[in-house]
Amino acid sequence: MIQFNDVSKTYETNVSESHALKNVNLTINDKEFVFILGASGAGKSTFLKLIMREEIPTKGDIIVDGKSLAKMPRRKVPYLRRRMGIVFQDFRLIEKMTVFDNVAFAMRVIGSPSKKIKKRVLYVLDLVGLKHKAASFPSELSGGEKQRVSLARALVNAPNIIIADEPTGNIDPEMSIEIMTLLSEINKNGTTVLVVTHEHELVQQFGGRVIVLDDGSVVSDSGNLGGAV
Amino acid sequence: MKLSGCGYLIKEGLKSIWHNRAMSIASVGVLVSCLVLTGAAMVVSYNVSAIVTKVGADNMVNVYLEDDISEVQAVIEIGPKIREIPNVSDALFVSKEEAIADYKDELGQWYDEMTGEGNPLPNAYKVTMSDLSLYDDTVQQLSQIDGIQKISDRRDIASKLTSLNNLVTVIGFWLVVVLGVVSLFIVSNTIRITMYSRRFEISIMKSVGATNTFVRIPFFIEGMTLGFIAGIITSLILFFIYEGVAAVIVNVAEYLVAIPYDTFMLPISAIFIASGMIVGALGSLISMHKYLKIEGGETLGW
Repeated sequence: MIQFNDVSKTYETNVSESHALKNVNLTINDKEFVFILGASGAGKSTFLKLIMREEIPTKGDIIVDGKSLAKMPRRKVPYLRRRMGIVFQDFRLIEKMTVFDNVAFAMRVIGSPSKKIKKRVLYVLDLVGLKHKAASFPSELSGGEKQRVSLARALVNAPNIIIADEPTGNIDPEMSIEIMTLLSEINKNGTTVLVVTHEHELVQQFGGRVIVLDDGSVVSDSGNLGGAV
Repeated sequence: MKLSGCGYLIKEGLKSIWHNRAMSIASVGVLVSCLVLTGAAMVVSYNVSAIVTKVGADNMVNVYLEDDISEVQAVIEIGPKIREIPNVSDALFVSKEEAIADYKDELGQWYDEMTGEGNPLPNAYKVTMSDLSLYDDTVQQLSQIDGIQKISDRRDIASKLTSLNNLVTVIGFWLVVVLGVVSLFIVSNTIRITMYSRRFEISIMKSVGATNTFVRIPFFIEGMTLGFIAGIITSLILFFIYEGVAAVIVNVAEYLVAIPYDTFMLPISAIFIASGMIVGALGSLISMHKYLKIEGGETLGW
């Protein structure tokens, strides 16, 4: 479960202050599928950075699985991130590595044993329909395939939460549906999925809970029943 | 950390040296230059100390006689006077002909011109003392004998060599300090460039939950390997330089015999390799600390 308790984030420069998030209160329950919708500059990136504990709130606190991120020491942050999988808009694949190695990379960097890596990577690649491309390099893949590899890398450490930052931003509409369908299936298997996007059509097509951010504030939350906004 | 993880990290560190080979070669080159200069200072100092000890402990002086003293006078008059001095245990007469004959090989074609009338060397006595603590008194007594022109006191050489040794030590110390800092700077910059070239990977590593230690290890391995390679190359270079210089020195002065390299090859090579690895490790630690503290903690492009 992710809880935002009166969270504000302000970036200060020498000459000005920028309020990226203002007094955000919301709760995302386990196994939920949530869209974070907002235009550029609405505070979506700050929202993600805060969940990943890349930034600390200027005010308020974020609780992930019962643990306060504001109070979390830096050395514990890697362990928090191991419970999350991230899908980036620009895929972030390492060009010199094969598809297999790109996915295995996420397991290697947390010290998983080779045998387990081989078994799990092939399983996850099968899940996203790319087992046959395990030996290919990213340059040989289409945009949709690259995003599926990115998704496989996010899934490979069996995270509790998948965070997808504009996952369909760089792929054609047909592939977008494929990726969203995959994310939906992952959610049905018990993983919390957070999709950050600015594409209203995608949200309408897939439904689910929608949190709309504008100018750093939550302006609507379809899943907010108790008026936490 | 599990063994498989260690293997992966070591492999990544070594791969990185090859990927950034231009900078790796530059780093090793600078490290080798620093280590060779430092090592040369060490080796010179070691040799000078050994010579000083040897010369200082030598209980023999050369007593040169004046030119107008004939060999007969030298043997009949001066020899007994020298032997009368209580601390003199032996006085061996060396005629000017015998003395020049010692240089026959070095003089080559000029040898014939320097024998007989043309011999520039004086008659001399090699005087051995029984008690070294009375050295100064004995030299004083020898100098009072008529017909003695000069006493070669090797302690003069010893004291000059000691000054030289002190100078070499001071220069060596500053060489270590200055070149050590230069090496650290160069190695840390190489690692920094490697880090920047791999910032994308580091960003992904951090986003999937790699610890800073895990991120650091390949760079640490890279720095230490560069230092290790530099240490080995330095040992080899110094060996060849030393052998060459030692051969030249022996020709210049017979009592300046260089200590054979193989007697200290192992410890000095170990020192070079260890120093290289320490500088490499420190260099990488410095750059990694800066990088991970400032840029490396963030996910790129967010």
